Amino acid sequence: MKKFRFALVGMVAVVALGLSACSGGGSSGSAASGQATFNPNEKVTLNMTWWGNADRASRYAEAIKAFNVKYPNVTVQTSFAAWADYWPARSTEAASHSLPDVMQFDLSYIREYSQNGQLLDLQSYVDNHTIDLSTFDPNLVKSGSLSGKQVGIPTSTNTLAMFTNEPVLKQLGISLPDTSTYTWADYNTFLAKAAAAGAKSSDGHQLYGGNDYTGTFWFFIQWLLQKGITPFKDDGTLGFTKSDVVDFLNLTGNLRSAKQLYPIDRQVALTPKDGFTTNEAASEMSWDNFLAQFTTDSGSTIKIVPLPSVDTGKKDLFYKPSMLLASGANTKHAAAAATLINFLLNDPQVGSIFGTSKGVPAAKAQRDAIKADPSSIDGQVIAYEEQVAKQVTKPTPLPVKGFGTIEAKWLSLAQDLDYGKTTPSDFADQWFAEAAIDMK
Amino acid sequence: MMTTHLERSTGAAVRSSSSSATVRRRRKRAELLAGYGFLTPWLLGFVLLTLGPMIASLYLAFTDYNLFSNPTWAGLANFTRLFHDPDYIQSWKVTAGYVLIGTPLKLAAALAVAMLLNAKRRGQGFYRSAFYAPSLIGASVSVAIVWKAMFIDGGIVDQVGQFFGAAPGGWVGNPSKTLPMLILLTVWQFGAPMVIFLAGLKQIPRELYEAASIDGAGPLRKFRSITVPMLSPVLFFNLLLETIHAFQIFASAFIISNGTGGPARSTLFYTLYLYHRGFVSFQMGYAAAMAWVLVLVVGVITAILFRSSRTWVHYSGEMR
Repeated sequence: MKKFRFALVGMVAVVALGLSACSGGGSSGSAASGQATFNPNEKVTLNMTWWGNADRASRYAEAIKAFNVKYPNVTVQTSFAAWADYWPARSTEAASHSLPDVMQFDLSYIREYSQNGQLLDLQSYVDNHTIDLSTFDPNLVKSGSLSGKQVGIPTSTNTLAMFTNEPVLKQLGISLPDTSTYTWADYNTFLAKAAAAGAKSSDGHQLYGGNDYTGTFWFFIQWLLQKGITPFKDDGTLGFTKSDVVDFLNLTGNLRSAKQLYPIDRQVALTPKDGFTTNEAASEMSWDNFLAQFTTDSGSTIKIVPLPSVDTGKKDLFYKPSMLLASGANTKHAAAAATLINFLLNDPQVGSIFGTSKGVPAAKAQRDAIKADPSSIDGQVIAYEEQVAKQVTKPTPLPVKGFGTIEAKWLSLAQDLDYGKTTPSDFADQWFAEAAIDMK
Repeated sequence: MMTTHLERSTGAAVRSSSSSATVRRRRKRAELLAGYGFLTPWLLGFVLLTLGPMIASLYLAFTDYNLFSNPTWAGLANFTRLFHDPDYIQSWKVTAGYVLIGTPLKLAAALAVAMLLNAKRRGQGFYRSAFYAPSLIGASVSVAIVWKAMFIDGGIVDQVGQFFGAAPGGWVGNPSKTLPMLILLTVWQFGAPMVIFLAGLKQIPRELYEAASIDGAGPLRKFRSITVPMLSPVLFFNLLLETIHAFQIFASAFIISNGTGGPARSTLFYTLYLYHRGFVSFQMGYAAAMAWVLVLVVGVITAILFRSSRTWVHYSGEMR
C-alpha cells in the first residue's frame, strides 16, 4: 500500500511538472485570425479598455454610440480603470494572451509590450487605408513605431503646463510672477510667499502655493532638457547622472525644510485627489490636457500658463503623445479593431466629444471639429499650445525599457523624501540602483 | 465481520484461510479505489491549481521572467538580490512588526472577551454573533475602504481624537500611524479565535475551579494555573493559525495604501511588495523567489512553535 501511494504521488508530481513546464513561458500569441479587410456586415464583438476617470468614461460611451451608428454590427464591450490599476491588469492579460482588441496605451510601457510581441502590428492596416494617417504629423506617428512595427498610434499630443487655482490665489492675495520669463527660483519664491501668507480654507486647512514638484519624474525630464541634457540616449541608456538628480531635488530643498510645500501626509490622505483639486493649493504643474479634469475635480476656475524655465524665457518644451491606441496581438478581429481605432482617431464627432481632454487631437479633422469657444476648456488648451508652440523646441524623449517602473520608483522615493525619511543623495543612489535592474 | 459471514454460510465448502484473506484484500482494494475515486476531483484541483503552480514557482524563482517572454535561467541571482534590496528589508520590518504586535493583541482580546462571554448572561448569543461578525467580513475590500474613511483627515477617529485633545490629522497620511491602524483592523477581527477559545473554555471541568476556590485561589491564580494550562491546546492552535494568517495580509494594506505600500513604505507588507514586483514591475522570477523565502520563514516559525509546544501545551489525557 505504501508503495502504491508513493507511486501515485510520484506520478502526479511528474504530470504536474510536465503540465506546468508546457504552459509556462508562453510562445508568442496566436496570429490574429481576422480578415485583412473589414466586413461591415459581419457581427463582431470587440473589447476595449482605457484608463481615466468617470468623465472620460462617459465620453467614450458617446463615442461608441457614434461608432455604432456607422457600424451597427460591431458590439464594443468596455471597461476602464485608474492609471495605477490599469497596468497590472494589462500585464496579467498579456501573460494569458488575452489583451483587449483595442486599448489605450502609453509611451512608458510601449517598449516592453512591443518587444515581447504583445501588440498587433497595425502597419498593414495603415497601408491599406483602414487607418488613415494622412493628416498626422509623421514625427508623431513615429513615436508609436518600434523596430519597424507600428504598434501604437498616438491619438493626441500634450505638453507640460502650469495650472493655477484662481480662487485660492485670490485667497492668498498673491499672483504668479510673469509666466513668460519666470525661472524655477522665481517659482520657489512664489511658493514661499504663498505659505507665509497664512491663509486658511473654509475647513481650517492652511493654503499653500503648491506641492513638491520634484516628485514627478516627467518634470525632472523637462528640467534636464532645459539644461541641455538629453535624458535618454538612443542606445536606451540614461543620459544623466546622480548629481543631476540631487541638483533637481535640491531645488525645493529649502522649501521642504521650512515646510512651505503642501504637506505630504494630507496629500496622501486625499488620494486620488490632491491639494490642488481640493482647493488648498494655488498651483500645480501637469500635462496640458489635465485642464478638463482639474476643472471638474476642483469645481473652481483653473487657468493654464507656461512652465518656469532654467534660463529666462527658454522653456525647451516637447510634445508628448499623450496616449496611443493599440491592439493586442492575440486579437481575433484585427480588421474590426483597426476600424474602431481609425474611427476613434479620425472621426470629427469623436473629436468634438473628447475635446482636448486627451490632449490636442493629432488628426486635423478632429482639431477642426473642436469649434472651441476661446473661453471654454478646449479653447484654453488649444490656445495654450498655440501660445507655446514656438517654445516647443525639443524632440519627444523616448522612454527607456522599464520606464513605468522607474517612474513609479521616483514617486515612491519622493514620498520618502517629503516625509524626511531619506536625503537627496540617498534618493539618487537608490533610484539608480533600481533603474539598473529595471532597464536590464 | 468476517467471522459473522463465516458463521452464517451454510454450504459445505470450507473457506480456507488464504481465500478469506483474498476476499479481505479485494474488498479493501475496492474500498481504496472508491476512496481515491471520490478524491479525484479534489486531487485534480490540488495538482493543477496548487501543486503544479508551486513547482512552477519554485522553478521560476531561479529565473528571470518578465511574464511575456520565456524565463531565462538566473541561478541564485534573485535570492542574493533580495538581501541588498532596501525595499525588501523594509517589507520584512513592516510585516514582522505587524505579526509580533498584532497577533498577541488579537489573541489577548479574543481570550478576554471569550472569558467574559463564558459566564452566563443575557443576550449571550447575540454578543457572540456580534463579536464574530467582523472576522467574517474583516478581510474584505469594502471594510478596508470603510476603515480608511474612518481614519482619514477629518474622519471619525480624527474628530474623536481632537475632542480628547489629540493633534489634528488623520492616520492614513501619517507613516507612523498607518501600521497601528492596520493592527487595529486585525485586532477588531478577534471574533474567530474568540469563538474557538469559548469552546475551549467550556470544556474546562468546573470542578477544577471549585477545588481551587476551596483552596483559596484568587481569580488571577485560577487563570494562571487552571485556565491557561487547560486551554493551552486551543491557545496553541489559535497562535499558530493567527501567526500564519498575519504573514499573509494583503487586501487591507493594498486598498488603504492604494497599492503603493505607502506613505513612505510604512504599509509595504511582504505580500504587497511581492505583488508589486511581480505584476507591476514584471519581475516574476524575483517575486517567486520572495514567495519561497516567505514559505521557508513561515515553515521555520511553525516548526519552532511546534517544538516549543512540547513544553507549554498540556493535552489532557496524557500523564494520567
